[in-house]
Amino acid sequence: MTQQILNAIFIGSIYALFAVGYTLVFGVLDVLNLAHSAVFMLGAVITYSLVALHGFPFILAALVAVIACGFLGLLVEYVALRPLRRRGAPPISALISTIGLALIFVAIVEQATPGTLFSWLWQDGANSVRFPSGAVPNPTYHVAGLTLEGTKIGILVTSVVLMLVLGYVIKYTQVGRALRAVAENRRAATLLGINVDRIFSSTLFVSSALGGLAGLLFGLALSDISPYIGRDQVELKGLAVIVLGGMGSIPGAVLGGYLLGLIEVLAFVRFGSNVEAGVAFAALFLVLVIRPQGLFGARLRERL
Amino acid sequence: MAALLQLTEVRRDFGGVKAVDQVSFSIEAGGIFGLIGPNGAGKTTLVNLVTGYTPPQAGTIRLGDGSASAELGRQTPDAIARLGVARTFQTLRLYRNLTAFDNVLAGMHARRRHDTLRQIVPLPAFRHEAKARLATASRLLERVGLRPSEHGPRRAGTLSYGDQRRLEVARALAIEPRLLILDEPAAGMNPVEKDRVRDLIKQLNADGLTILLIDHDMRLVMGVCQQIAVLNFGRKIADGSPAAVSADPEVITAYLGRQAEKKGAHVPGAEAPLSLASPHATDSLAATEPGSRMLEVRDLEVTYGAIRAVRGVSFGIDEGEIVALIGANGAGKTTILNTLSGVLRPSSGTARFRNLDLATTSPDRIVREGLAQVPEGREVLARLSVRENLELGAWVRRDASAVRRELAALMERFPILGQRRDLPAGQLSGGEQQLLAIARGLLARPKLLLLDEPSLGLAPQMVDAVFDVIREIHKDGVTILLVEQNALRALEVADRAYVVETGRILLRGTGAELRQNPQVQKAYLGG
Amino acid sequence: MDFFIQLFTDPVTFYNSHELLLAQIGINAILAISLFVTFYSGQLTLANAGFMAVGAYTTVILNLYTPLPLPLDILAGTALAGAVGFLVGLPVLRLRGIFLAIATIGFVEALRLGVILNVPITGEGQGLKNPSADPLGGILPIIVSLPIIAYIVWRLTKTKLGHAWAAIREDELAASSNGINVPVYKMIAFVIGALLAGYAGALETHINFFVDPTEYSVTRAIQILTFAVAGGTTNVIGPIVGALFLTSLPEIIRQASAYRDVVNGVILILVIIFRPQGIVGGGGFALIRPRWWPASWRRRGRAASAH
Repeated sequence: MTQQILNAIFIGSIYALFAVGYTLVFGVLDVLNLAHSAVFMLGAVITYSLVALHGFPFILAALVAVIACGFLGLLVEYVALRPLRRRGAPPISALISTIGLALIFVAIVEQATPGTLFSWLWQDGANSVRFPSGAVPNPTYHVAGLTLEGTKIGILVTSVVLMLVLGYVIKYTQVGRALRAVAENRRAATLLGINVDRIFSSTLFVSSALGGLAGLLFGLALSDISPYIGRDQVELKGLAVIVLGGMGSIPGAVLGGYLLGLIEVLAFVRFGSNVEAGVAFAALFLVLVIRPQGLFGARLRERL
Repeated sequence: MAALLQLTEVRRDFGGVKAVDQVSFSIEAGGIFGLIGPNGAGKTTLVNLVTGYTPPQAGTIRLGDGSASAELGRQTPDAIARLGVARTFQTLRLYRNLTAFDNVLAGMHARRRHDTLRQIVPLPAFRHEAKARLATASRLLERVGLRPSEHGPRRAGTLSYGDQRRLEVARALAIEPRLLILDEPAAGMNPVEKDRVRDLIKQLNADGLTILLIDHDMRLVMGVCQQIAVLNFGRKIADGSPAAVSADPEVITAYLGRQAEKKGAHVPGAEAPLSLASPHATDSLAATEPGSRMLEVRDLEVTYGAIRAVRGVSFGIDEGEIVALIGANGAGKTTILNTLSGVLRPSSGTARFRNLDLATTSPDRIVREGLAQVPEGREVLARLSVRENLELGAWVRRDASAVRRELAALMERFPILGQRRDLPAGQLSGGEQQLLAIARGLLARPKLLLLDEPSLGLAPQMVDAVFDVIREIHKDGVTILLVEQNALRALEVADRAYVVETGRILLRGTGAELRQNPQVQKAYLGG
Repeated sequence: MDFFIQLFTDPVTFYNSHELLLAQIGINAILAISLFVTFYSGQLTLANAGFMAVGAYTTVILNLYTPLPLPLDILAGTALAGAVGFLVGLPVLRLRGIFLAIATIGFVEALRLGVILNVPITGEGQGLKNPSADPLGGILPIIVSLPIIAYIVWRLTKTKLGHAWAAIREDELAASSNGINVPVYKMIAFVIGALLAGYAGALETHINFFVDPTEYSVTRAIQILTFAVAGGTTNVIGPIVGALFLTSLPEIIRQASAYRDVVNGVILILVIIFRPQGIVGGGGFALIRPRWWPASWRRRGRAASAH
């Protein structure tokens, strides 16, 4: 059971990392970025291709991939979000344009085989791959009867540290205050001299970089890298997480991520894998119907 | 005569603010009843209470008389509409993408039988009803002065602003109401359009309809209503005939504001007028003024869709001045400020601040160059703490240590903000929020500060405090452009002032000149 | 291009080789219409894939285990989808905009992963064999149903009901001031959408020998949304054109069919940015304002002044 809890904490931190980026965009821009899961997938795919196809050391590859994902976030902003904002389109439109981008991202990877246009990025089509053994150092520790893998500890530490840093930046720095100002009232923020568009771009950059990092950590931990990991593994679960935590709330997303990890592991232990899969969505549906402000909404009234 | 609508001690708070406080009045069947009051007095809240959009917390709202009467306080808006209470909205709420005909047809909803099967099996016999309905819609459009053949098939959003207002009345008439509530039907209209609205209201009333008219434009309300009630800070301060209400000193104070107590009560026009500049003279004067002003606005035009909010406004400000723009609500003052801040863009004309073209510069650059705005309604960031709000005021600055010093100085200057520095700004009272907004504006270290309605919604002693602060800031060397409804107070502090009416500059002069000008009172009270 | 050459030079062979494509277009068009009905009343729901599953599974299970004739099975499947629609609508329709969309996503996945994969009679993850399917005979009902449904929905938009929907879509607050009972009319649209989606799901089982639970995921729901949005949602022709266009696209551009999702994505983005009214529907192209025009708060500004 302790091992299961450990697993819950660890899968929960990946959910949380993914959901923090998701919820950050919703909180600041008021739109749901459905391309986030595709960026998550690309984070894993880019790291893999740098390591396996181009011979980068893992850490460097991860760094490049995270930055590349940040730039993909800018692409989302410039292609799918900003033109709609300029037109004053309803927020639903952004849902559709980001779905469009997600379709494109996934299809590019899924169709990439040796000899095609994108073979430098990916060569395995729709197949699932894992990092070549030995590419990532993975010492294993045995403590009090528990098996601790080095990568998993690394993942836990990385995600917790990053979420703390993000929390600090948002709470205590001038940029964080500007972010919250824009989230609350764009007009007032503009009158204070804040360049709202620049805040939006930065938000997308940070959110997508976090999403990409979550993706590569996922690929590393579950040894599953394919064009579909974003769509099938985290897109809707991420949605469930941010609804659980209250849409737009970062502490809510973190708590929601760990909570979902825990619920899933418990459901798996008690009822088996079939039930585990449905739990997230039953929770999502129930929370929206009963408490649209999220489970922690009452206490975490602040959106960021 | 029998009362059609009877309000008894109706009360509604919003988070501690008494939006409507123990209001009672009754509207007689067949009359035109006017409801007036300055901005933020609670008029629209009252309409929302009567039409079911906001449930009252206490009191009763009864429609009709005797046994046939109905209590409206607990009913949904659609049920109230079906009982025969129709309304228009202060901010137009047409179905913009539907045609004018379809807008009226939607309005006829409650008077229409279900016709699902008939429409699916369109036998000729069933066509008759649809034709009759279209004929009714045409009649309604004609009744409000729209031409069915020309305006009917057009999308509502493409009609001119005045026609949209009229269409909204036609849609409200379509439910065959017993009581028609018009919420500022003449807002944003020019005098000619306003006259047409007045004629329409009179015509509808002559046809037997009872009307509740809410408007800022006193000329309109005084011209058509038989009975008037005046709201201020959610309370009814007067009611009676138009003549009695317009002579009521409390009403005049509510509209024109109060001078500082030390100078005693004072009504504009009571003293002999000094020299006056006519509106025509304004333009020629503006043309001869030197081009070296701090802010120079020429022939500014701003439009929102079909509304021409600002029509050819020219004015200027020299360094070190306090200049006021005064005028009734909806005159276009806030639009002018937002254009100067780069939030709105002019359709023609120029606005220059020093050497900066305000028509094309981005809003953040404008603030960085030293032109800051303290927006109407304060717009403090309610979820951020007082301190965080202030720190964001210095967003455009890079000299962190100087900012820290000024911040500390401001907290001492406004001790109330210092004491509450860690509280969310949303928990401050209205006056404290206004102080916070001004202090926040100062932290950008502006050369020109635009203040939009700093006294709006504040209790009198708070107004005094705010104006004291404005004077102090000015003494420290900040040039100020002040927009106010509270004309007397604004004229007291201003070196010069411009009176704005329906997007134009009506009068200009020094503060002292305008205070003694009877036309100023006219612009407000329509006397 | 072969596609069109064959269509015009040899329509008989074309029909024989593309029968299933036609059936799929018909099914997708009905699904897109079901989304259109809710969209027309101003609600974005993605629950259609779930209602489709209800219709499909009910039909096949009744067909397998009861002696009822197939049309009755289809009818029962449709009716049950409508009933489920009503029950789901009760709590969900209080939500608006994006929250409604998310809640319906939750419904679809909870139904698929939580119920279908855990109830033995549905065949769980293995899916359900449907030996009595008749791929060729199943096309006729689809091709007959589509114009009838399109006609009925088109007429519905002209009724008191349709005018109320349009009013609610444009402005809920104003609609209630016109005496329109907003929750009731929203529910009617939601249930009609559920009935149509259930019917499409039931019809689809007739052309497939196998009911595959993965068909009823959110991916399908999003696909349906794509048809309606790309085609246009101002009138009922839009979703049909959208379904026709996007379903046959991979057939038309065989060379690029591998990259059909790229093409789909590009079309979606271009349509939503430059033709928000869809391929069908009047008006020209939306213009994007120049860079310095901060349009983003027009909506917020209006909301603030309304307050």
